[in-house]
Formats: sequence, structure tokens, C-alpha cells
Amino acid sequence: MGLTGLEIYKHLPKTNCKDCGLPTCLAFAMALASGKGSLDSCPHVTEETKSALDDASAPPIKLVKAGVGDHVVELGEETEIFRHDKRFFHPTGVAVLISDHDDVAAKVEAFEQLEFHRVGMHYVTDMVAVRCDSGEAGKFKAAVETVAGKTKKAIILVAEDPAAMEAGLSAVAGRNPLIYAATAANYEKMVALAKANSCPLAVKGTSLDATAELVEKIVALDYRELVLDSGARETSKVLADLTQFRRLAVRKKFRPFGYPAIAFTSKEDPREEIVQAGAYLSKYADIVVLKADARQQLLPLLAWRQNLYTDPQKPIAVEAKLYDIGDANENSPLYVTTNFSLTYFIVESEVESSRIPSRILAVDTGGISVLTAYADNKFSAETIAAAIKKSGAEDKVNHRKLVLPGYVAVLKGALEEESGWEVIVGPREASGITKFSKENFA
Amino acid sequence: MIIIGERINGMFKDIARAIKDRDPVPVQEWARKQEHNGAHYLDINVGPSSPDAVGAMTWLIEVTQEASKLPLCLDSTKYDAIEAGLKICRRPAMINSVPAEKAKMERVFSMAAEYGAEVICLAMNEEGIPKNADVRIALAAELVVVADGFGISPEMLYIDPLVLPCNVAQDHGIEVLRTLREIKLISDPAPKTVVGLSNISQGTKNRALINRTFAVMAMANGLDAGIVDADDDELMEAIASARIILNLDIYCDSYVDVFMQRNR
Amino acid sequence: MTVEILKEKYRNTVGEVVLGATREQGGTRSHTITVGGEGALPFLHFEGSIPNRPVLALEIWDLAPAEWGPLFEKYYGDVWSDPGAWASKCVDQYGADLIQLRLKGADPDTKGAAVEECIAAVKKVLEAVGVPLIVVGCGKPEIDNALYAPIAEAAAGEKLLIGVAELESYKAVTSACMANQHNLIAQSPIDINICKQLNILIAEMSTAMANRIIIDPTIAALGYGIEYSYSIMERARNGALQGDKMLAMPMIGNVGIEAWRTKEANQPEADEPAWGEQEERGILWEATTAMAYLQSGIDIMVLRHPETLKVIKATIDDLMQDNSY
Repeated sequence: MGLTGLEIYKHLPKTNCKDCGLPTCLAFAMALASGKGSLDSCPHVTEETKSALDDASAPPIKLVKAGVGDHVVELGEETEIFRHDKRFFHPTGVAVLISDHDDVAAKVEAFEQLEFHRVGMHYVTDMVAVRCDSGEAGKFKAAVETVAGKTKKAIILVAEDPAAMEAGLSAVAGRNPLIYAATAANYEKMVALAKANSCPLAVKGTSLDATAELVEKIVALDYRELVLDSGARETSKVLADLTQFRRLAVRKKFRPFGYPAIAFTSKEDPREEIVQAGAYLSKYADIVVLKADARQQLLPLLAWRQNLYTDPQKPIAVEAKLYDIGDANENSPLYVTTNFSLTYFIVESEVESSRIPSRILAVDTGGISVLTAYADNKFSAETIAAAIKKSGAEDKVNHRKLVLPGYVAVLKGALEEESGWEVIVGPREASGITKFSKENFA
Repeated sequence: MIIIGERINGMFKDIARAIKDRDPVPVQEWARKQEHNGAHYLDINVGPSSPDAVGAMTWLIEVTQEASKLPLCLDSTKYDAIEAGLKICRRPAMINSVPAEKAKMERVFSMAAEYGAEVICLAMNEEGIPKNADVRIALAAELVVVADGFGISPEMLYIDPLVLPCNVAQDHGIEVLRTLREIKLISDPAPKTVVGLSNISQGTKNRALINRTFAVMAMANGLDAGIVDADDDELMEAIASARIILNLDIYCDSYVDVFMQRNR
Repeated sequence: MTVEILKEKYRNTVGEVVLGATREQGGTRSHTITVGGEGALPFLHFEGSIPNRPVLALEIWDLAPAEWGPLFEKYYGDVWSDPGAWASKCVDQYGADLIQLRLKGADPDTKGAAVEECIAAVKKVLEAVGVPLIVVGCGKPEIDNALYAPIAEAAAGEKLLIGVAELESYKAVTSACMANQHNLIAQSPIDINICKQLNILIAEMSTAMANRIIIDPTIAALGYGIEYSYSIMERARNGALQGDKMLAMPMIGNVGIEAWRTKEANQPEADEPAWGEQEERGILWEATTAMAYLQSGIDIMVLRHPETLKVIKATIDDLMQDNSY
């Protein structure tokens, strides 16, 4: 991200010496801001100035990583307030909390099951948080050891006592865990631990002001691998604080808030907890830590994360192939549509609610909708006929009838000729499928 | 684009006569008409021939305020007239204008700070209007820095890169457009930008066409405000369309009507 | 150090719409419900006024909804053959803020109920409960267009919320609402441009109706395009706050219908063991969908499962807590 003229000007000597070839330092600053010059043209800038300018041109929110290998969770480096303005980049890390009072082994085994396959995608619960509730360094260390032995996922160590943290850390050296948390009371020791182990460090304040102050103290100790927590736990307050973190970092480049943020749920009821976690995930937590750990609870939350972090500019495609809906057999009807995910899902949902086992062929249109793909010649007699061949539909059904979206009824003749299949023109809108299928296939 | 209605100006004969006779009717008619047509501010200029600029300015402001609630843009090179005007404006006004000259900046910015007024800043100095964009931008930056010294945020400033008629200074057009873009690099928040739109077409044929063509080009380069003829429907329609293309308003089939009616 | 809180300055607020009318106001409701009025993004109390909480309706039909299956039979099976009893249970036992009556029975593919039967169903619900009422047709414009006027007239004074007006078919329902002082749902197919245009067309028919529109941007369920409708709602609400009066209306979403159509809500655990227990999964699928729309600015949600209503109500309680700095 570029610096403004005034930001650069602040760091220049302000002598108007003209050695750079421009009449004033301000003119030089403006030339740099618009990318027309190089700082090297000024013989008077110091190394300090250079590093200050480098710092100032860093992204508004720092990228921080936790975990190692294939299980690194990348956090931050977000640039937007609204996904429709561009996109959100690094999906919120979802962490399940395990207390050192719990049956840690059983808990972490359950956690390892929290991976899901739906609509061709793989959802992963990517972090596990281990909390020292016992107050005993030894017990905490044992819990961390158990966790580390049973999962390769990124780990968050939750303890405010530096001695406990040190013990916990010793069990996961080299796993790049997130240390939670440095507070006003313990930050010097926590920073030392984070530095010694090169781990990211969460900074927990008691308010926005206190959090900013603590961040500045830690940055003064020359540590910048940070994650923010304002300390708030009431839903509405957390939402406000997370919004301020994001807005001040992105819009104002307010440096103390230029780090990813972590939020902890406070609800005991798992349903309320999932909804609370979902709210934080929407606005703007980079990590959310929750206690709920049943599959039926995590699946909806991870689905929302996946949906929210899609790129709005990029149409989302489902795999172009033949899908079975219900107990499809050799007599089941065959619908044809595009592989634009929204189109496909709507068709799928309507076909499903017809309760007549069927097949849907999603034709590869590069993820664009029926009419757009038709206009673009990506949904044509030729592409559909080729997709039918490739899908193996000819071996799966013993009829030769396919249902074509009503909007492209015009393709009927050419498609029949090209594919040798009989074409039944279906409804224009997916909402007509239930009725259509009852009339044609019941 | 913020529309500053240009019509209450002693350069126009009807307004000059109204000032001379102290006849409020033409002034108030133009105030209402410009407001109806979508102006956000009304420019108030006593014209070159008024012997008593202070008296004429305060009278114009008073009668305009009787007819319209819009904020005013006090347009004069005589700062005493502007100061007298600021005292009687019912809502925060805009000062039009100050060049990047030390004494004038001090006078104007101290007034602006005292009365909470926005300021139109001209990207020129004692040496006149710069030939190229770089000098205009450097002067704009200087205006921002000096205003900051008076506690005035860049958002309160409207930098005018100074538009010259395209039939005599054709090479300036592209420099003005670049200046509009790069003014946004001065600071965060950035200063706003303004142009006196009709300057571009002085002495040409097809004035209205040149005006609206320039308006949309300037908007595409980040222009925030224009001193314009709010009575020019085709200009307003072009601005409405440019706002759609720049994604400033959400499209719908009736977007022109929506834009024209939004201030009514 | 003091952090300078960043508050957006908005030029406009969302319009307020009053649903229902009490006896003194010419209706028979025990109370009215006001929606809209936001002067800030969802639940950001620190930067503007959020005078009214989002409200939750439960959906009932004028016939027993066979396709809802055994899961909902547990909750509604004892009442769903009688819309009055069904509405009462939703309000008294499950705590619905209001009721949405869908006149599914008018559809010739179901029982093809006559206009009089539809009116009778509306009256039954009005008699059974005191909360404001949403009435929507069967979803087929050719049938629904003939229903709006007689229903609006039969319930004159009740300030119903009647739906739906669509770009291709908005005049009949708008006239019916106009003539009898009802509110109107303006529905657009996940398309913000059509959403705005439809509002303009309705406003052109009657400026008074412009203040009685509730936008239905058409919402998708979690996992089925929710991000499209989420972003459209965010854009509409931002537009409204920044001064676009033709988007400055409260918004409604049929969360229940969409969520309970999904595979994730309906697949038995036996068929998809990795997804966990079915009913809980369905409730959370609906609740997570609802949660997302709360964050994008929704004002009225129509839900299906009483447990979803409970958890979302508790969430709204939390989100309505002041968070001013």
C-alpha cells in the first residue's frame, strides 16, 4: 500500500535544498507518493527515515502464522471492511477449546473428527486451544503433550501465568503455537517466551485503549508477531471492538491495531455458542475459540466460513460431472444444467424436493449461469453433447431422454442431432422443477 | 459530485441589476431554482463592478438565506467581504477561494478555522497558474500543510487545479486531470477537489457538450465538486450516469429520475 | 492512550414501518411492531441509533404441510390442520413475535382453495392471536393476484404485511395494500438493481406506499449461495445509510423455508454419519443462516423451527445491548 505525500514529507529533511532536482521537499514527497521517483534521489535521508518509511508502507494488517507444515493457519493481512468491495483473504481460524481439567485425550480425539466433506469441498477445524485451568504447570504441560501427540493442527496455549506457559511451550517446541496471552501484568515475561520460541503472541487488553497501549509496549520490546484481544466477552461489545480493530487498521492505518484479532465465545449453550461464534467470524475475528465440539455444531459454522471467504468476483463452480440425487437407477430422469454453483445447488435442491430419484449433469461452463454460458457459447449443443459422453451417462441410464433448462429451449433441435438424445424442454426457473417432474416422471 | 450552483453572480446582468437596485426577486428565484435542480451549495459572488463589496455580499447572503436552506459558497477576492459574510451565514459556509500565497493563506485559513468554513484552494501562487501537473500538485500539498497548521483537516479543503478554456490552453486539460488524481495522494484523509466547470468551454461553440464531457472525465479522475450550471439538465443527467459507472450509486432502470429527485 | 473510535457519518436512516394496528388504531391487534429505523450498520450502537430490534415470525400454512415431515410433526402436528390453533401455539408456546400465514392452499396443485377459504384462514389467525400478521400468497402470481384485493379488504385496518410484489407483477398487490392501508413485501430475485427499481415503481404508484415497503431481497440458505444475498443486503443497507432512499426500507427474509430445504438439514445421520445428529444440525443450519442475515441488516425473519427462534431471540437480546464507547 502506498504512502501519502504528507506521510513521506514528515520524514524528509524539509530543507528545500533542491538536491533531488525538485523545487521543494513537498514536491519530492508528492513525486514519491505517485510512484514517479525514488527515495535514493535524496542524499540526505537517514537509515532511520528509510526504515520508518518501510514500516509505514507495510500492509494495514500484518500476516501472522500459527502452526507448522501443512497445518499452518495464516491470519490477517485483510484489506476490506466488506467482502463485496473485494474479498476477505485468510479464513478465520476455528479453534476448539480443551481444558486441562478435561479428559484431554478423548477431547482431542473428538476434535480430530471435526472435518467434513460437503458439495465437493473439505472443511477443516484448524486449531485446538489448550487452557490451563488447573493452575498447575505440570498438569498443563501434560495436557499440551497429549494434544500435541494426537493432532498435527495448530495449537493455542491459553495461560496467563508465565510459568505455566513456559511449561506448556516446552511440550510443543517447534510447533509454532500461538501464546495466549500477554497482559499488562505479564507481558515482559510473555514477550521473552515468544521471542525465545519465535511464536506468535496474543495481546489481551481490558479495553481498546488498554490493548493499544499494551501493543505499543510490546512493539517497543521489538516484537511484532501479535494477535489482538480487547478482553471484551459480551457479544455486542466484542462485535464493536472487532469492528474498531478492522476499521482503524484498514481505514486509518492505526498501527497498534494492525494485527489479526482473536475472539472467545462466552455462551454455555452450544447453539447460542455457535451463533455467537458465527457473528464474530462474520465481523471480523481472525480466530474464534469455542467449546462446542460436536460434528452437527461445527459443520454449519465451517460452512459459513467457507461461504463468507469466497471471492465475490469469481463465480464458484461445482465439479462438472454427473450427480446422483436420491437412489437413482437406470430409469431415473436426467437433468442438464451448468456447473455454476448457485445454479447447480438451486436445481439440486428442487430436484431433491421432487422426491423422484434423478441425475443432474453439471456441464462445465467455467462456473457461469445458464443464460450467460449460452450467450458465451459455453452451454451449446456441442458442449452439452460432449459432456453427456464424458459423464458416462450412457452407461448409467437405459433411456435416452434429457431435461434441458427452459431458457435454452432453442438448443433442442441441435442438441438432439448432436447427441442422439431426446430433449425434453424443462421449466425456465428451477422453482418449476417440482411440478414439472410430477407431471413428467411421477 | 457535489454541485455548487454558479448562478448568483454579479457577472450575470440580472444579478448585477438586482444588487444595484437591492431587488431580492431575481436572487431568490435563482436560489430556489438551483436548489430544485439539485445544487448542494449556492455560490455567492457580488461581481466585479460592485463598489461596496461588503454591503453587496451581506445583502446577497441575507436575501438568499430567506429563499433557500442550502449552505453558501462565498466567492470573492475581497476577504473583508467574505469575513462579513461568514458572520451572518446560518450554516457553515465555504470560502471561495485562496491561492498558495503566504499572506492570503494566513488570512483565509484563520477565518476558516474561526467560522468552521470549508475552503476552496487554488493550485496557483504569485507566479500564476502552473503549466504542468507536478507544480499544481506541489502547491496543493503546500495548501494542505499550511491549513493543517491552522487545525483544518484536509477534508475541509477543496483543491481547484484551475481549468483553462480548451480553445486557448488545450494542453492544460490533461494536466488538470492528472492533478485531480494525484491530489488524492497528498494525505489520508485526502483533500477534496473542485473545478469551475464552465471555464473549460469559455469562448467555444458547443459549450454545454464540452462542459458535460469534461465533467464526466473529471469525475472519472476523482473530482468531488463542481461550480456548475445546475439548470443544465443534460449535464445533470451525464453526472447521474457517471455516478453509476463509477459505482457511487446503485444502478436501477430509473437512476436518472432518482438522481434528479434526490434533493427535491 | 486513547483510541479515536471510528464512527461512520451517515446521511440517512432506514425508514420505519409499523406492522399491525390496535383497536384504537382501527385494527384488532393487541400491540403493534415497528421495524427499521436503523441509523447504523447492524448492532453498531456506538455509531448511530438502532431503535427497533429485528423480529422473528414463525411460518404457518392454511393446510397441513405434508412435506415438512415427521421432524416438524412433533412440534406442529397437533395444530397444523387448524391455522388458528397453529398460530396460537407459535405465539403462546414458542414465543413468535409475529406470524406469517402462507396461503399454500390456494395453489391448484394443493387443494385449490377458493378466495373465501383464504379469507377465512386469515380471519381465523387474526382471531386466534394478537400479534401482527404477515400474509403471503401461494407463490403463483396468477392465483395470488386474485387473492390480494379481497384479503386486504377483509382485513382492512389491520395493517397486515402482504406479499409479494415482484417486478413482473406488483400492481395488483400494491393497489390492494394502498386501498386498505396495509404494508407490502417487495421481492426481487437476489438482484439489487431490480430491488431498487421495484421500489421506485411502487413509489410511483403511490408515494405513501413507499413508506410501507419491506424489501425481500430473496435469501439463500447457508451453503446454497448465502454469500450472494448477504452481500446484496450489505450493499443495500450501506446504500440506504449513505442516502439512497429507494433502498432505505426494512428487509425481510424467509430463512426457515430455505434452510429446511437443504440436504444438510434433512439428511438423516444414518446416511451421513460424519455430519452428526440430524435435528440439531438442522436447527443450527437454520440458526447460522439467520445469524448471517442479522449481520447483514435484516429486520424481519421468518423461521420454522421453534428452537431456532429461541436461540436467535437470545442472540438478538445480546446484540441489542448498547456498545457505545
